[in-house]
Amino acid sequence: MNKITVNLENVVETIKAFYNPAAHHFLTLNALNAPDDSIELEWIFTRYGVIDEPTVFTLTCKRDVLIPSVTSFIPSAIMSERETVDMFGVSIEGAKRGLYLDEDSREMPLGRCRV
Amino acid sequence: MLNALIQALKNLISPPVTLQYPLAEDITLPAQYRGLIEYSAEDCIFCDKCEHACPPRAIIFFQEANGDKVYRYNPHLCIYCGECVRACPKPQEALWQSEKKQPFALRAENVNSEWKVWEERCSESRDAFAAAKKAKKAAKAQSDGQGEMQ
Amino acid sequence: MKKTVEIPLGSQHISLLEPIRFRFHCENEVIRDVDADVGFVHRGVEEACASRFEFKQVGYVVARVCGLCAITHSLGYTLAVEKLLHVETSMRIKYLRMLMVELDRIHSHMLCLAHTAENAGFEALFMQIMNERELVMDVQEALSGNRVQFDYISIGGVNRDLSAQAGALVLRNLSLLEPKIDELFERFTSNWSLSLKYRGIGALSLTQAYMYNTLGPLARAAGLETDVRLETNDFPYAQIGFEIITEQGGDIYARNLVRLREIKQSIKMVRHIIEGLPEGAIQEKTKGKPEGEAIVRIEAPRGELMYLVRGNKSSILERVRIKTPTFSGIPAMIEIFKGSNFADAPAILASFDPCMSCTAK
Ligand code: SF4
Ligand code: SF4
Repeated sequence: MNKITVNLENVVETIKAFYNPAAHHFLTLNALNAPDDSIELEWIFTRYGVIDEPTVFTLTCKRDVLIPSVTSFIPSAIMSERETVDMFGVSIEGAKRGLYLDEDSREMPLGRCRV
Repeated sequence: MLNALIQALKNLISPPVTLQYPLAEDITLPAQYRGLIEYSAEDCIFCDKCEHACPPRAIIFFQEANGDKVYRYNPHLCIYCGECVRACPKPQEALWQSEKKQPFALRAENVNSEWKVWEERCSESRDAFAAAKKAKKAAKAQSDGQGEMQ
Repeated sequence: MKKTVEIPLGSQHISLLEPIRFRFHCENEVIRDVDADVGFVHRGVEEACASRFEFKQVGYVVARVCGLCAITHSLGYTLAVEKLLHVETSMRIKYLRMLMVELDRIHSHMLCLAHTAENAGFEALFMQIMNERELVMDVQEALSGNRVQFDYISIGGVNRDLSAQAGALVLRNLSLLEPKIDELFERFTSNWSLSLKYRGIGALSLTQAYMYNTLGPLARAAGLETDVRLETNDFPYAQIGFEIITEQGGDIYARNLVRLREIKQSIKMVRHIIEGLPEGAIQEKTKGKPEGEAIVRIEAPRGELMYLVRGNKSSILERVRIKTPTFSGIPAMIEIFKGSNFADAPAILASFDPCMSCTAK
């Protein structure tokens, strides 16, 4: 697994520079709880047709910031972005809540502040 | 296209694929069907390994005041995975997987709520026993300490 | 004046197997835009895996994400944990695991073909395929002891060995199945409704396939060469004669063909597995608690399935991330709907082979 650490400012540019639609397969966006009320996000990519370790872009940021979206050049990322919004209670540009959760569901079931 | 036409004509004269009920063969379960879990208290050494291994917690032990444990199994909660048997130090003697089919859960039996009550009683009995043991130990330690002082 | 009419499909509909709701914005007969709501069967599996169950039990929990690909789910999770525990499994274990996955692929593809036939109006063909599918289900029941929830794979190995008797049963049933698949091949290529009418319907171009990151049979029907069996080396797929299968066109017809050809190939691979099954133990010793992060990809019948597991040396895992094939296929699905006729929607939907309980987990 090749991990590349990015920050809030350069995440979209870095991924855009890296991503080649004809060669790279966007696996998913994963989120994890990090200490100190932060959240760790991982954009995972693999390559088509060859045996290869996944490339992972990781970003650690506070839970309440607005996270930029990659859907402008990876349209299929919308699903995992919406899922992350639902499950972890973060905000991602352009992703609305409600893929899995209903109005009366518990807030952020996978976030750290579990009830 | 031509093939399809020929096939259609053939189908006109061939018998149906389905069979009427009495002609159809009965379904037989294959050997080693994963069925109910069975238990024998005589061989059990009460190590609780099965209880810890069980994913849905379908095996629970109740602990009586004198320390004896009583096995209880919920066939409706069990997923028949066999993890308990693999965890058991005495498989086939104390705990084994039979080829029997699981029973139906009748509404009158009230399986869900009853099991919840039982689950609670079991954990209470465990806690009570542990507390009693602790108290006994403390009392013993105290009396030992007193004995030394005298 | 508003130009489009809104037509809902689902969440309960005659052509749907599982709850999903679409809202089609149609202009006359043509679909212009689609909203999809896919979260009806969300059960919180990821949360349960990281809070209620110990890592040894999670394999049985994730198997319940989906009834059809139960085996791929438990395999994906188990492989990830084995990577964290540094367990190397024997060749026999790998072969037995591949055997179950390939059998799973056969019956899952048959289910999809049955539904494609049903949505084209072929009720009897649906029944017939489902009946023939029983041959594979019987084999799986004999191998694992249960018909749907196999619970065959556990951390460090498999739960049952393959007896000579069971091996013979596999070969017998597959040889019964093979002519029936050939017959189906004939049906799906020469029947007017199933072949000519399905040509060009619900087409996905290669550029779109790349753009929407499609996977599985959907991508391969569009000519995109992606198959996890080719892209990972967790299993010796080359040894049992795996070759990638692609078609051109990306329409329903091409997807059916990919599935049919994959069934045939899986039958061949299962034969090779049974013939070349190496000797060895079926369970390896494991010790310790998982630590670190592992990503595992498996080719499930519907496409790539990903498991990401992170542990921190305790019995309860920190995170289990499940990414299911249909979940990533939905953006492409929405794209295909745009511009199609509303009347084709059920057929297009069936040809995706969507699995909602996987998607919402
Ligand atoms: S078979 Fe599985 S579910 Fe049933 S009691 Fe044993 S461990 Fe529990
Ligand atoms: S694992 Fe076996 S010996 Fe131990 S308590 Fe359970 S049945 Fe008894």
